[in-house]
Amino acid sequence: MAYLATNNYFEDKDFVDKWLYTMRTGELDLSWMNAATEKVKPKEANPRRGLTYRDIDLGSYGYTDMPEKVRRNRSYAPRGAEIPEGVPDAQPWVSRKSELWAFNTESYYEEAVSRQWNATTDIPWDRLEGVELPENIGKSLSQLMTFLTEVEMIATDTPAMWLPRLNPDFIEVRSFIASQAMDEARHAEVFRKRALTTGWGLMQASPMNEMALKHLRDADSFSEMSVALHLVAEGNVLTLFRFSEYLSPTDVDKRIFRLVMQDEARHVGYGMQHFKYVLEHFPEKREVLHAHLDEAENISFAGAAATELTEAFIILAGGGMKQENIEEGIKITTKFNLKQMQEHFERLDKCGMPERRERSKLYKMYEMGVAAAQAAGINLN
Amino acid sequence: MGVSFPSTDYFEALKARMVEQDEKFRRLGYIDTTFGVAVGQNGKARNFILEFEVFDLKNVREVASIDLKQVDFVLEGDSPVWREMIENIKRNGQADASHDINTLAHFGERLKIRYDDPDGHDKLYRFMESIQEFFDLSSKLDVSF
Ligand SMILES: [Fe+2]
Ligand SMILES: [Fe+2]
Repeated sequence: MAYLATNNYFEDKDFVDKWLYTMRTGELDLSWMNAATEKVKPKEANPRRGLTYRDIDLGSYGYTDMPEKVRRNRSYAPRGAEIPEGVPDAQPWVSRKSELWAFNTESYYEEAVSRQWNATTDIPWDRLEGVELPENIGKSLSQLMTFLTEVEMIATDTPAMWLPRLNPDFIEVRSFIASQAMDEARHAEVFRKRALTTGWGLMQASPMNEMALKHLRDADSFSEMSVALHLVAEGNVLTLFRFSEYLSPTDVDKRIFRLVMQDEARHVGYGMQHFKYVLEHFPEKREVLHAHLDEAENISFAGAAATELTEAFIILAGGGMKQENIEEGIKITTKFNLKQMQEHFERLDKCGMPERRERSKLYKMYEMGVAAAQAAGINLN
Repeated sequence: MGVSFPSTDYFEALKARMVEQDEKFRRLGYIDTTFGVAVGQNGKARNFILEFEVFDLKNVREVASIDLKQVDFVLEGDSPVWREMIENIKRNGQADASHDINTLAHFGERLKIRYDDPDGHDKLYRFMESIQEFFDLSSKLDVSF
């Protein structure tokens, strides 16, 4: 047993007597009614939107005036409550605001709740009845879905494993991270369901991909996890979902990818706003984040080139396996690959890390890739 | 009643249909984005700014030009591409697999997405299904070009 109560209450005569005494006499203590807390009157800023976290950003309950270092609370006491002696130390790892805060944190959570969808009922699965894809397209689609299910399972685990490590004073971030874990669970669900409805079942797990994904779980701080997960991995995945929507052979697949891309773009949005926030408020972190990006970019470069993924993409993009299909598929997949890298550096620029291009080996690969694509006559726009 | 494209009347007509289908748009969730639509005609462009808030199109206006810093992104394309998309929506009741916004814009061959801030660009995808359903309301209009 990992944690024991600090007292054996069954054997504690005073405790048991008090329990019986209250029952017998109806005498109440009521000291909690004198909690030294603030009275506030929250109002909806916009009744159509409802009562949001922003509407209750008030006084001692709010997040605007939170200290950078939360020293006062290490328990599950909700921010703004009176904290009496004796609450246990919940041992949060992250008690510094700039380590996890993002500009507009609260709105990402509200948006997540408002834009939830249901993989069981919001996808017109019945429209797949009678849809027969050619074998190589069906298998490639199923391989893509197999790969994406692996991705989404680690994307569920990573935010979930950080959740209990975050100081409960950061309720808005914790709520967002919980909503992300739910989003990713739904993504794993929808991709698994689509793999099985191709008629080919699942295809093959990817060692290269899983090596890349495991890295997401192994970060030394929340900010490092966030840059690797929200910016590098999910930035890539967002481009991949847009690309997959573009390639989708049926309107059912299009709808799946449009719905997952909404969630993914929200995760990337939080990541960008956190990255900006940490660079502005915790400048000492910049070098640490560069060092983590060195690893994350190395791994994402390898993961994106996994055979099981690129070959499936080439076949889907080219529309088959004839010579002309493969040639077309390679062109489109190359454009997609380079677009992923280009968008990654655009995001880092805008977040306040423009020097990344200089330092990054991935950027050198990007330049090499652009030159090779141009030499091969691939139009990159 | 017919409306012509491009015009603020066209977007106002979509806005009215959006109100009629409040239930559906509430189900899709908050849509908080301001974006531009640019329609190229004979080397010039007609530009519109659409401001969405909560579940609604709050405001639409035509402007001479669009400052990318004032919007999240701009969907830009020549008039025949927009026309093809709107006619496709009318025919199918919704955009088919070759005419939805992401497909038309993905490699910038037909529609282009212009933006200053990638965070603004990503809002197209954050609110994708609402934006697509908004344009799909064209199926309920008689549009002339
Ligand atoms: Fe996901
Ligand atoms: Fe995600």
